[in-house]
Order: sequence, then structure tokens, then C-alpha cells
Amino acid sequence: MNAVEPARQKLIARGVLAVFILLCTGWLLRLDYAERISTNVLDLIPPGEPSPEVAVVRNLAGNRQARVMLFALRDSAAPNSPPAAAAQLLAGKLAHAPVFAEAAAIGDATAETELGRKIFARRFALLLPGWLGEAKRAFGRTGRPEKEFSPWLAERAASDLEAFLARPEAMSMQELVRRDPLLLVPKLIAQVGPFGLPGTQADGHALVWARIKPSPFTAEGQQPAFAAVERAFAQVRAQYPSVELCWSGINRFAAASRARIEWEIKTLNLASLLAVLAVGCALVRRMWKMLHLVPVIGCALLGAWTASTLAFHRLHILVFVIGSLLSGVAIDYGFYIYMQPSRQPGEPYADKLRRLLKPLLASCLTTVIGFSLLLFSDLPFIRQVGFFVSAGLLCALAAAMLYFAQLEQPFLEGRTFGRNAAGHGSRWRGPLRALFLAAVIIALVGPWRLHWQDDVRELDIPSPALLANDQALRTLFGDTPDRSVYLTYGDSAAEARRHLEDFLSYEARAAPGASAASLGLVFPTEEDWRKMPARLARLDGFAGDFRAALERHGFDAGAFAGFFDDWSRTQQQPPAGGYSKLYEDLQPVITGPLAQFYDADGPLCWFMTVVKPSGTPAPPAGLFTVGVDQLQSLNRVFTRYRWSALRLSLSGLGLVIASVFIIYRFRAGLRIALIPAGSCFFIFGMFGLLGQTLNLFHLLGAFLGLCLAHNYAIFSSESARAGAPPPAPIRLSALCAAASFGVLSLSRIPVVHGLGLTVALIVLTALAAVELEPRARGGAPN
Amino acid sequence: MSRRFLTLLFCLAGAAALRAEPPSLLDPATLIADPAHDPAWQDLLARLAPGKNRLCAFVERRYFPFRRTPIVLTGEVRIAPDLGLSLHYLTPEPRIVIVDGRGLLIRDASGREQAVPADGRALAAVDALVDVLRFDLPRLQKNFAVHGWREAGVWTLALVPRNPSLASSLSAVMISGEQMKLGKIELIESAAQRVEILIGETREGVTFSADELARYFR
Repeated sequence: MNAVEPARQKLIARGVLAVFILLCTGWLLRLDYAERISTNVLDLIPPGEPSPEVAVVRNLAGNRQARVMLFALRDSAAPNSPPAAAAQLLAGKLAHAPVFAEAAAIGDATAETELGRKIFARRFALLLPGWLGEAKRAFGRTGRPEKEFSPWLAERAASDLEAFLARPEAMSMQELVRRDPLLLVPKLIAQVGPFGLPGTQADGHALVWARIKPSPFTAEGQQPAFAAVERAFAQVRAQYPSVELCWSGINRFAAASRARIEWEIKTLNLASLLAVLAVGCALVRRMWKMLHLVPVIGCALLGAWTASTLAFHRLHILVFVIGSLLSGVAIDYGFYIYMQPSRQPGEPYADKLRRLLKPLLASCLTTVIGFSLLLFSDLPFIRQVGFFVSAGLLCALAAAMLYFAQLEQPFLEGRTFGRNAAGHGSRWRGPLRALFLAAVIIALVGPWRLHWQDDVRELDIPSPALLANDQALRTLFGDTPDRSVYLTYGDSAAEARRHLEDFLSYEARAAPGASAASLGLVFPTEEDWRKMPARLARLDGFAGDFRAALERHGFDAGAFAGFFDDWSRTQQQPPAGGYSKLYEDLQPVITGPLAQFYDADGPLCWFMTVVKPSGTPAPPAGLFTVGVDQLQSLNRVFTRYRWSALRLSLSGLGLVIASVFIIYRFRAGLRIALIPAGSCFFIFGMFGLLGQTLNLFHLLGAFLGLCLAHNYAIFSSESARAGAPPPAPIRLSALCAAASFGVLSLSRIPVVHGLGLTVALIVLTALAAVELEPRARGGAPN
Repeated sequence: MSRRFLTLLFCLAGAAALRAEPPSLLDPATLIADPAHDPAWQDLLARLAPGKNRLCAFVERRYFPFRRTPIVLTGEVRIAPDLGLSLHYLTPEPRIVIVDGRGLLIRDASGREQAVPADGRALAAVDALVDVLRFDLPRLQKNFAVHGWREAGVWTLALVPRNPSLASSLSAVMISGEQMKLGKIELIESAAQRVEILIGETREGVTFSADELARYFR
């Protein structure tokens, strides 16, 4: 190399870096971040996820159920008297706000009365098919001949009617019973009874139910809705100054979550930077020279953001929370190049780089290979993290090599404490060997005691105040802990209704003392609906049989003339039309809160069932029913993804180790493989012995920590061979990584905390191993 | 869903109820303007108001316009002033009906419960019954016009609802007895639609055990 070459190299390096920065910045500036970055937890799960829980949750999240907002008003001047007029006013104001689709004060029975009238008027179409079907099945079990069906049914109906009159509600239903002696509507009332809420004016509150138009996960569904609520309530307060308002909705959680995650990104990055600077102050002589590492980290992050947004149309914000700590890894290459002294005065940068290229490439490429395996994960979030980190590492290495080419003296001098400790190894050899032996035992025994538990709720920052407020509101609206809520689904309304029938039969067997109520009971199964005309046709003599049975049971059959007229008309002209028309007819009158309890026209149809008391066993998979508690955690789904990530991580580890044995000789390769793997198993062993519960993100953290530890093992390979302590860059790099990931462990997002803690502990363990291993071996040649 | 759905259907059931003609006792001359301070009535009313726990046997006869004979139910009623009223039906089907500040709760023989909210219109008649059994005079005066007739130890009180909503499903409550003892309560909707409750043996100042409180109240 001649004297001109370094200048030319400097120019080329500067030009390449400038073009890279310009292109990346230009690309990132033109992005629509609201469109490209998601804060919705459900976006962490792939669109094609076959799990029924996820399908149901997606349906709920994208459906009107997610857009519901609940309001409770209380008059502080008259706490026992619900401010019903104020609630009416608030509902009216909200209903007129463009962002709200509908709003209604609970207790305004107009909609319910309309629905009740409709059900009563359509009882022969809606309820008679099920009544006939059930009777037919019960008759079938008696083994009697078909011709006895009509008198048997008449006797049974009259007997049921007589028994019903002894029930408490009979007195208030006598007019209804006169028109409906088959008890179609009273039986429906008895079945939907467990849906009961504590009252429209629960605990001195007047309640308002509302639904917004946009998704609660979008910006349009958040601040505009909140502003509309504030405006509406201000108008209410103008008339009713002593009224107080509590309100909740998914959009409040989504907005709080977004704000907190954004805050975490800023503060964690700042704290991470300060932590790295603090480590630098302790280990570096000229602190200001560490500023040369900032462009390297900046280029790594810039490259990672650009590559990820180029490769993925939509990324989850957690990728950036976790990926922002890429700086902890990216800084390694900068340290290693920057802190290596020249072999002789005036050593050209290219020569120095050539000398360091093998460990640099070995470290970077093996880590990239490991993380690239995450690209095969089923979970888009893990694919995105794998891609982000891989791209960032490649950019970090390239940026470090190019950036330091521009410096006249690319050397950062570290402090020298602890350098000569190896010379006193004999005194410490015994205790250190005992320590390593203990660590090996922990690494071998502890992991067997690990407990794994995945919970989708840990992906978000808990908001105790919002949760308490939401729970209080839901209790006022009737959501009590003594009941379990299930969703029964199907590809069509007919299928969902059939599955509901199966689920209710299962519940009756599994928990005979429990009550199960569902709005789905308003509709017949498709089978009963289709068979009704034929069944009616075979009940020619039923009217006569029923009159006789009524007389036998002490009734005046003439008092039921209205019913017999209705029956005759129905027999002559049974309800007709397609099955789906039943739902279409009723849908216009099922509005407001009632509409939350079923969905018969979405891509996935479902019915909600409330079972009281709670605590009945979870329904088996074949019933197409999931508990709402099950939906809140999605444990099963995430457990599957954890196993997938574990397989990929182990494959990645295998590849990394294989690469090391290809690049290095067996003895050095064995050391390089054992330090990261040992550190990782030791920390998992400690977690196991301490009873810590781990999840998918501890596993990801372990893989990240393993790759970092792998760097230190490679970079310290030469010094270890010489029995010397590791070079200063490793100490600095490891402490910086531990500091920055330690900062991550302060996150309030449980999974991010878990990931940060795991990485920090593995890195510190690996550093301790790298530092102490030569001393424990002792007697190494100088 | 819901309470509103349930209430709606209960309302729907009562919506077409017939308006009844009041019995002949309901004459302006029999009106008691201030029962609590009327010397002719205050001793009886004070005696009937339970300050302590009360346990009575009862027979209930329900008359329906479409049935020739009444439905007969028997049971026990427990009144705990702090907890409310508990009707324990023994025949024809065991069932407990609890009425308290939170509304109405029906508990069947297997322990399965069904609640009806406190504001349900269906509860109007039950509320009236509770007021009567408690003889809570301020509430009775507020909600009913009180008529009375008393002669030679035999007495009858007629309570006519003031609230039109209640009046649409309950024409009057007739209470009668001898001396200081309550004998019969009638909830009258019309001549053909009424409930008679014959009060049997009554025990005052009963102590309900913890098990009884758990079983018969909430």
C-alpha cells in the first residue's frame, strides 16, 4: 500500500457512508409511520394463524364489540339517586358526534320493547321450530309409535303449563300465557335469565352505552373520540354541575399503551446511552473519543430501520423497542476495531483491519446466521426481530469498518486495571475451579426445574388504574366474576347455532347445576327450522288434543282461542324463507348492548354464552367454543410459538457452533462454543432454581445473549490461548451490553423486562467466564 | 343483555294486563288519611309491623282467568328486617324467592339462581307484597291510598296503588285478619286474576341460624 491509498480509502469510505445515510434517511422520511407501525397486540400473531382463539379474537377486535365505550354517571350531590336525565343528555350528545355510531342510555326500554314485540310476533318462526324439535327428540326416546306423538305432545304441553303457573314469574305473564300456552316466550325468558345485569341504575349510577365508528386501535378511534366525550360531558356539566363521569373503552387502553411504549422507546434509549457512557467513563481514558462510536451505532440503527421497513409492510412497535437495544450489540465491532492498538507505529488502517477481519467476520456472520434462522419463525414478530437485528449487525460491521478508516489515529485507549491478575492465578485457581464446577452443576440441573408460561397480556404495559376503572364499569354493566363467558363460533350463522346447541348440551351434562344463557337461543337450529313444516304437517290433530289436555288439567280451553287461531294459521302457512332471513329480520331491532352478544353476518359467526356460576371446566376443542378468559391470554397459541422459536434457536445455535468449529481449531472452537452455551444454561439454571417463570421472550433474550457471549468468546480467543486476560474491548463491550440490556430490564412491559434481564445476565456471566477462565486454568504459558 | 332483555320480556308479559275494578270496600268513606296517627288503626298497624324476625306458614292460591281452579302453593315466609323477605315454597315444587334491596332472586331446589333486577317493573307487585309484609307505614302511605274497615275484632285494609305503572298490573292489595293477627293478603289484578295468601302459624322474634340466613337470604 502506498501513501496515496489511505487518502483514497478515506474518501471512498466517506462517500459510501454518506450515500448510505442519504438513501436511508430519504427512505425513512417518506414513510407513513401510522400506517407502517402497529401497536395492536394482535398484529404480533400471523394473519393465517389457524387457532380458533385467534380467529375469534381477531373477529372481536375488528368488530363492533371492540368499538364499545361504557359510561357511568353519578351525582355527587345525590349519590343514591342515579342522574338519569344527565345520562340521557350525554347519550344524545354522543350520538350526534360524528365519531360515534350510536349511543344510548341504559334503561331506555324503547329498543328492547321493540325487540320483545318482534320476538313475540315471530315466535312461531323463531321459537316453535326448536320447541317441536326438542319434543320430537324427547318423544323418540320414549319408543312410542309415531301416531301417539300429537296426544303425547298435547299432554306434555298442558302439564308444563300447569307447572309453570306455580313459578314466581307466572303471575306477571298470565296475559302472555293466554296467547302462548306452549310457553315459547316464557321458556326463552327462563333461558336468558342468567344474562341479568344488576340494574340500569346500578349503585346510584346512570349508565350510557356507546359505539364508535373507527377502530379503537387507530388514531381516528382515539383522540377524536376522547375529544367528543369531553365536549359532550362539558355540555352535561353545564346543566348538571354535580354530575361525575367514569368511562372506559378499548381505545383508552390502546392510546395509553401507545403513549407508554413511545415513552419507553425514548427513555430506554436515553438511559441506555447514559449507561453506556457511564461504562465508558469507567473503562476508557479519553471519554470524548467514545463519540466516534455514535455514528457506527447510528448507521446500524438506520440500516436496520430501513431494511426492515423495506422488507415488511407493517411492523410491530415492539420490534423497535427490542431492536433499539441493537446498539448494545452493534457497538461490539466498533469497540473491537477502535480499541485494538497498532502492531507497530504507523500501521496502515487496512493492515490493522485485515488482521482483525477473521474474528470480526466470524463474530458478525455467525450471529447473523443465528438470527437469520428466526426468519423461518411462524410468528411475524420474531421474523421481524430476526431481520432487524441481522440487518443492523451487518450495517454495524460495515459502518465500523468504513467509519474508522477516516480517523487519523483510530485507537481508543482503555484503562489498565486488572491486567496483571493472571500472574496471581495460583492462589485463586482452587476457588475458581470450585466456582466453575458449581456453575456447571447449576447449568445442568437448574433448567429442568424451569416453568414456562406465555401470556399475550405480558406483551403490553399493564395499566392498573385503567384496568380498575374498566372493571368497575363492567361490574356496573353486569360483568360479575361469578360467571364464565364463552364464544361459540362457526363459518356461518347456521353452523355457529349448531355448535351452540352442542355446547349447551355439553354444559348441561358437564355442569348440571349451572345455568347457561345465550342470545342464540332466540334462533332455531337450521335443522329444526328446515324440518318444521313437515313436523307441523304431521300434527293435524294437535289442536284438538291440546284442547282436551288443557281441560283435563283444569284449564278453560276457550280462554286460549287466540292461540288456537295463531296455531291454525301457522299450520296452514308455516313460516317460510331462507334460514338466514331469520337473522336478517331480527337484526334491525337487535341494537345497542344486545348487539354485542352475537355476530351472524361477519366472516366468523358466533354467539356469546354466559354460564353461571363460573368455574365450569373448559369446553373441549370439538365444540368450537372458547372461553373469554382463554382469549385474554392466548396461552396455547403463544406456547406453540415458543416451541417453534426454541427449535429455531437451537438450530441457530447448532449452526453458530458448527461455523466456529469450521473457522477455528477444535480446542479453541470448544472453548468458543462452551462459553456462550454455558452462560446461557447457567442463567436458565438460576432461573429454574429461583422459581422464575419464563416465556417466549426469555428464550429470545437467551438467543441474543448467546450471540453476544459468542462474540466475547471469539474476541478473547487469542488472549485465552496465551493465558492472558481478555482484551479491553471485550470488557468494555460486555459491560456496555450488560448496561444497555440492564436498562431494558427496567421496562414496564413484562416481556421486554424478561428479555433485557436475560440478556444482561447472560452477558455478565459470559464476561465473568472469559475473565476467570484463564485464571482457573492457571499455569498458562506467558 | 341482559337485565334489559329480561325486563323487556317481563314488561311485555305485563303490558296487556287488564285493568281491574276496585272492590266495593274502596269507598271515599273508608279512606284512612293518616294511618300512622289514626287512633282507630295505629295500634293494629304498630302490632303488624315486624321489628324482629318473623316466620309464618302460608298457603298461596293463584287464580287465573283461563283456569277453573286455583293453583295452590304452600310454604313458609321469613322476614328479617335487615335482609328482606324470603318465600320458601314447599309444594308443588321446592323453590326460594328472596326479595331485598337488590331485587328479586329465585333459587331452585338445586341451588341454581336467577336474579331479577331491582328496577324491573315485574317486581312492582313483589315490592308491594314486601311493603305489606313489613307494614312499613311511610312507604305504604307513599305508594298506596289506604282504606280500612274494622268491626268486632275483624278488620280489613285495602291498599290502592298511587303509581299508574303499578296500578296497571295491580288494582289493590287487600289485607285482613282478626284481632291483632294477620290472616289473609290478596293481590288483586282483576276479579279473575288474583293471588290469595293465607297466613298460618306465625312466630315472632325467631333467631335465624347462619345456615338459615345463607339458605334463605343473600
